[in-house]
Amino acid sequence: MATTSQAPLRFTSHHNLVYRLVLSTLTGRTVHISQIRSSSPTNPGLAPHEISFLRLLEAVTNGSQMEISYTGTILVYKPGLITGSASGVGASGGVIRHELPSNCSRGLSYFLIPLCLLAPFSKAPLKVLFSGPGVITSSTPTGDMSVDSVRTAILPLYNQFGMFNNVELRILKRSNPGPNGRGGGGEVQFTFGHQIRLPKTLHLMNPGRIKRVRGVAYSIGVSGSNNARMIESCRGILNPLSPDTYIFSDVSSAPLVPTPDKNNPNAKKKIGLGFGLSLVAESSTGCLFSADVASPPSGGEAPEDIGKKCAFQLLETISKGGCVPPAAATTMLTLMTMGSEDVGRLQVGREVIADPNMIQLARDLSKFGAPGWGIRDAAGENEDGDVIISVVGRGIGNVGRKVA
Amino acid sequence: MVGKRKRETAVVSRSTKTKEASPEPANDAQDIFRKYFEAQFEPIETDVPSKRDAEEPESGDDDNIEDDDEISEPDSDWDGLSGESDEENVVEVVEHKDASLGANDLMDKKARKAFMSAKPPSSADEKKKTTKSTKKDNSDDDTNDALNLKHDLDLQRLLRESHLLDSASELAPTGKNRLKALDLRMQDLGAKESLYKQKNMPDAFRQGIKAKAISRDEKRRREAKENGIILEKPSKITKSDNKRRERGIGGSSIGKFSGGTLNLSKQDLHSMQSSRGRSSRGGRGGRGGRGGRGGKAKRGRF
Repeated sequence: MATTSQAPLRFTSHHNLVYRLVLSTLTGRTVHISQIRSSSPTNPGLAPHEISFLRLLEAVTNGSQMEISYTGTILVYKPGLITGSASGVGASGGVIRHELPSNCSRGLSYFLIPLCLLAPFSKAPLKVLFSGPGVITSSTPTGDMSVDSVRTAILPLYNQFGMFNNVELRILKRSNPGPNGRGGGGEVQFTFGHQIRLPKTLHLMNPGRIKRVRGVAYSIGVSGSNNARMIESCRGILNPLSPDTYIFSDVSSAPLVPTPDKNNPNAKKKIGLGFGLSLVAESSTGCLFSADVASPPSGGEAPEDIGKKCAFQLLETISKGGCVPPAAATTMLTLMTMGSEDVGRLQVGREVIADPNMIQLARDLSKFGAPGWGIRDAAGENEDGDVIISVVGRGIGNVGRKVA
Repeated sequence: MVGKRKRETAVVSRSTKTKEASPEPANDAQDIFRKYFEAQFEPIETDVPSKRDAEEPESGDDDNIEDDDEISEPDSDWDGLSGESDEENVVEVVEHKDASLGANDLMDKKARKAFMSAKPPSSADEKKKTTKSTKKDNSDDDTNDALNLKHDLDLQRLLRESHLLDSASELAPTGKNRLKALDLRMQDLGAKESLYKQKNMPDAFRQGIKAKAISRDEKRRREAKENGIILEKPSKITKSDNKRRERGIGGSSIGKFSGGTLNLSKQDLHSMQSSRGRSSRGGRGGRGGRGGRGGKAKRGRF
């Protein structure tokens, strides 16, 4: 919504770049981000995954302009309207095809979670097919969650804001990170068909107790017994704590990516072998906590260890308390900020709000003109010291819907 | 997801008697060795701390070791220790085994389908699934249900077609009655009118039939009134409805086209205007939203 001639908001550094871009698109404010890795002598400027995200933004919006300086250390982004996959703009046959480059080291959730934030406010339903030699569906050493966790722990959150129709995340091909943690050969189709004017106001103040644990164990291009071993060790830890624990196993072959060389232009190679585990715990009030561990690209870790690590990670996430885990807090709070002009409340653990990412998000939001958060101690029997964040919505919502 | 945790815990406690038997010969042998050793050299110092480590591994301070040196000399001290440990150390072995995963495989398929689909899983799915599973459980009743249903259908038919059976006393109608029964069933299933309704007939006949039906109804009502019986209200005879007839393809949807001109009646004009008025009124409803609203509304009114 490039209507006003407001001065661009100025940010520095590459931290939180994606969410700044998302907030810019949602609020329609131009951003000027400088000093992007300017101190790095070897890799200054925007990284491949950031460039790729900019391309994705360009595909789902209409009329956005971005200027990147020669070294890539300065980015000016002037957002357009979020059109979704309306045909004729970026999509063919109602689907945007987005290819990720082979030197991408981030998992697909790096792209998916911000895209989910844009999707409810688009003009048309959003359908994106991620493909190419850089799609990593598993969790990565760079700290991204797996696509399974996005589907089972992030997308259900949109249900609480009144978006549930036609939301799909279809994993067509799985892939772990390739050698050196770069590249993969996965394929994922994401559909978000429930566009709304404004998200519902949310009051989530009862964490409840964990009632069930579900999970997906995946092994790609390696023996399926790895799955069984992960599940065994993981259930050994979780079953005594939560009897309703069930982990599904998914075995798939390694994806092939084309690697043309001089002798054989049609050469293909296997990439992204490995295994991993994604766990989701659901509480009696519908709060979701997730954990993700995958085998490192360098290998050398037993499936039992992965299973154990993942179980402990889940327990740690739950122990932080509150209604949202750190991984989902950004999504929740951003949606609450975009909601109607009403006060929404969310209970989070003390550790969750002390997370540097959360503090950065709060600062960015206030810079984009959102009113500050009110924070107070949770009432009732509050052993963990949870806090309640009160968020006033901005009532921006869906600009595309407003015009239509 | 009921009955997920089936765990077998077998507690096997080893008998203490075997324990008691084993350490003693070792002690004897050690005593013999020690006596032999001490006869030749100085009393042993290094041996004892290692024993102590086995007893209580926490205390490894240097002072304690020196204390131990004094104690270490007499043999009787060692015997006492071994006797104590035997009494208290009942080693309890707990075997912890999960129920075999194979037992859950049947549930697995359905749950897997629900969870591993492209949709984000929700707790609603889970509920639906459980109800389905309960239905499956009653599968042995299914045959019974089917039989009951069949009997029910037969009874319904009998009741409905019983008036055909006055003459013939058998239940399965034959001949003309069978055809009539079939016709009734067809109508029941949605046939528009009876197969035996005469389509074409002289107008005089049709008028006569209508007049007869009306007079019969009148008579019935009159008699009912005289007897003080309240009948249903006479159904309104709908006039031939004023629907538009089907027109040819490509014609205009409004007005009448004749002689190369489209003639619009007053009604047509009115309907056009009224429809436009409605659309302009009901444009964008609702409240809320700040930006750019006033301008929009104004433009709509002009």
